[in-house]
Amino acid sequence: MHLKQSLIIAIAFSFLGLASWELFWRSEGKMPDLDDDKNLWAVQRAKVNKLTKSDVLLMGSSRVLFDIQLNEWESETGVRPIQLASAGASPLPIFHDIVNNTDFNGTVIVGVTPGLFFSTTYPGAGPWKRAQSRVEYYQNRTYAQRLNHWLSLPLQKNLALVSTTEEGWSDDIDLKSLLGTIQLENRLEKPIFPPFYNFGDIDQDRNMQMTQKTVNDTAFANTVKLVWKTIVTSNDQPPEREATTSFFADDAKKFKAKDGNLILVYCPASGLFKEGETKFFKTSEFWDKLILQTGKKGYHYEDYEQLKNLDCPEWSHLSAKDAKYFTTELIKIMKIDGALSHSKTN
Amino acid sequence: MLFNSLSFIVFLLLVLALYYLKIFNWTSKKRMLLIASYVFYGLWNPPLVILLWISTVVDWTAGNKLAVEENSRKRKLWLLLSLFVNLGFLAFFKYGNFLLDNFTVAIHAIGINFEPQPMDIILPMGISFYTFQTMSYTIDMYHKKIKPARTFLDFALYVTFFPQLVAGPIVRAQDLISQFYEEKKATVNQFIWGVFLLTIGLFQKVVLADTLLADTSDTVFGSKEILHGLDAWTGTLAFSGQIFFDFAGYSTCAIGIALMLGINLPDNFRYPYASIGFSDLWKRWHISLSSWLRDYLYIPLGGNKNGITRMYAALMITMLLGGLWHGAAWTFVIWGALHGLYLIIERLLRTRIHIKINSFNGVLLAILTYTLVNFTWVFFRAREFSTAKNMINSMFFMNTDGIKILQSFEIIKVFILISLLFICHWFMRNTSMKTVSQKISPILLGIVWAMMLFLIAISQGSGEQFIYFQF
Repeated sequence: MHLKQSLIIAIAFSFLGLASWELFWRSEGKMPDLDDDKNLWAVQRAKVNKLTKSDVLLMGSSRVLFDIQLNEWESETGVRPIQLASAGASPLPIFHDIVNNTDFNGTVIVGVTPGLFFSTTYPGAGPWKRAQSRVEYYQNRTYAQRLNHWLSLPLQKNLALVSTTEEGWSDDIDLKSLLGTIQLENRLEKPIFPPFYNFGDIDQDRNMQMTQKTVNDTAFANTVKLVWKTIVTSNDQPPEREATTSFFADDAKKFKAKDGNLILVYCPASGLFKEGETKFFKTSEFWDKLILQTGKKGYHYEDYEQLKNLDCPEWSHLSAKDAKYFTTELIKIMKIDGALSHSKTN
Repeated sequence: MLFNSLSFIVFLLLVLALYYLKIFNWTSKKRMLLIASYVFYGLWNPPLVILLWISTVVDWTAGNKLAVEENSRKRKLWLLLSLFVNLGFLAFFKYGNFLLDNFTVAIHAIGINFEPQPMDIILPMGISFYTFQTMSYTIDMYHKKIKPARTFLDFALYVTFFPQLVAGPIVRAQDLISQFYEEKKATVNQFIWGVFLLTIGLFQKVVLADTLLADTSDTVFGSKEILHGLDAWTGTLAFSGQIFFDFAGYSTCAIGIALMLGINLPDNFRYPYASIGFSDLWKRWHISLSSWLRDYLYIPLGGNKNGITRMYAALMITMLLGGLWHGAAWTFVIWGALHGLYLIIERLLRTRIHIKINSFNGVLLAILTYTLVNFTWVFFRAREFSTAKNMINSMFFMNTDGIKILQSFEIIKVFILISLLFICHWFMRNTSMKTVSQKISPILLGIVWAMMLFLIAISQGSGEQFIYFQF
């Protein structure tokens, strides 16, 4: 057997193949990026155990992830917050975990995206499961998984070809995702879910920004809008306002007993989301009652002149530029209000 | 630690570097391999390494006592101690909740209302593999079939050798411990062949099992609906491929990694889906387990030496326990029972019908065997009997108005892949990968190898665990 010859050919050809693959995807506009996966989240969650009273935790859904910018927060307050928001998820399981499994008693900012916040307390439901699965992953992750994540970071940062995601975006380039784009005859008696492309870039401490393509390319932004429309119109589950509010209020009470500072934030929405939230999640019925029941400070973007007219390119999240503005203005408002009483600058 | 993970690549490179650098003598190299094996296991859950230590110390002590003790009663006690500890671990960690559930059902049946709290027990990875491996040592020592391991280090390494620690092959003491006595070093060709086997194993796991088949199988078996027959068949075939590629992939990796260290591990799979009948299947599927069950269960139960009825009873008990070995659920017992039934029917038919196998009837019988195997996989994969029942009904096309949940491409993909799998097994059933590799040109082998490496890299396996780790 001439195995040496075979090995040399295998190494040479696979290297050539992978180099060509990398160059091809870069020429298609795919650049190396980090995946906002359970590992990245768990690393941030692990930091909570070492935080002090002056520290800040952010949690919520994707709006908090996109709209609150960590650099701006740090430069305005001197504290870099820990970003624990999770896209498409209810913040309730994560807040529950922080309140019940840690001694943290600094400031917690909870984003309220009504469709997710008030959705459910049922463990099997999507918005709950997405958040809870991250909490459980953090609790159960092995040393091998931590090591794998640590080793994968330089690869993710430098190679486009390893750009795959836990979310399963339609523009992922791993083999499974590429095969998933092949559509033959539709056998199913239901419409095909529209393609859902990634529209944000995240860094190692989970600071997320909307891509420029989403801001500048209306056709691309429309693909995201179509996905939102499909999700919203196909959702036949009524909100569970009382159950979710009461669950959250119980944890808020425990957090207050620890002398923690809880702040609720309602981030901007536009178009279909703004209309839907106005119609189905009336402020007086949902937001106001939540604030009343928790007895905490709340900031609704519509209550502030400088925030109420911000536009979301795909209806639900701010562009990077507007997110920076939103963060800065929000902190100014909070400071005037004395809401950040735990923060270093106060 | 998983073979298909970045941490394992780094781990293996470090181990190989330390193994082949001329800084250690053979004993130190074995110590290094032993420590590396504990790290390999401990990176998953460090405290559970203690179970490995207990098994090692108990079986080492029992083995030494059995080597010198002549009193048959005391010999039996030493054997029982080893079995009690190993089977005790299995009973507690693997079957604790299952036993409790069944006890509760039985208590309810006699009218006593007892609701115990479920026990929060972690299943130690690969516990069924390493307990069976260590038990084989003390049983063989009891029967005076083998000599005791020369040193504790050799024995500890036999119990813990990282390539096959968590999912086999289950290696017998005489096949592995004796390899640790003399310094081992892979030749260049052995080393490269080991790398090739590692590549094939990863390709089977990452590309074929995880990327191409797992989702289809998960979708079908995760569905609560009554499915269309085509969907049920596609899901079952996908699982049959997934479990083969997952498990055979792990075994191939293990054999390849060991070979890179100059250690030979036995084959665990020999193209099982081209088996002609179920006796043939069990000589080709998970060979190290089936031979273990044959030698330590079927033969002690009487085997075929005490008449036909006893033989069938022994066969059925062996397969039922073999089913239970795979998991603590009645669905696994049914899986074992079906295999036992198939084996009994086959033996009955063989006494009455004599067929000379040629390539035409051979392939038809292989297809029939594979089809029947697929029905058993339904019970193996389904978490509940209701799911299995619905699937079986759908596979007999009894649910004519069943729901369609798979897209056309998924069905075509699975059928093409499974057809290729079957054809490959059929043409390879009387040969080996090494023989075929020797016949083809090294350039072609290199290109195929490169394609596998490329596909592994672009598949981006998520590093989730191998199916058999849970057994």
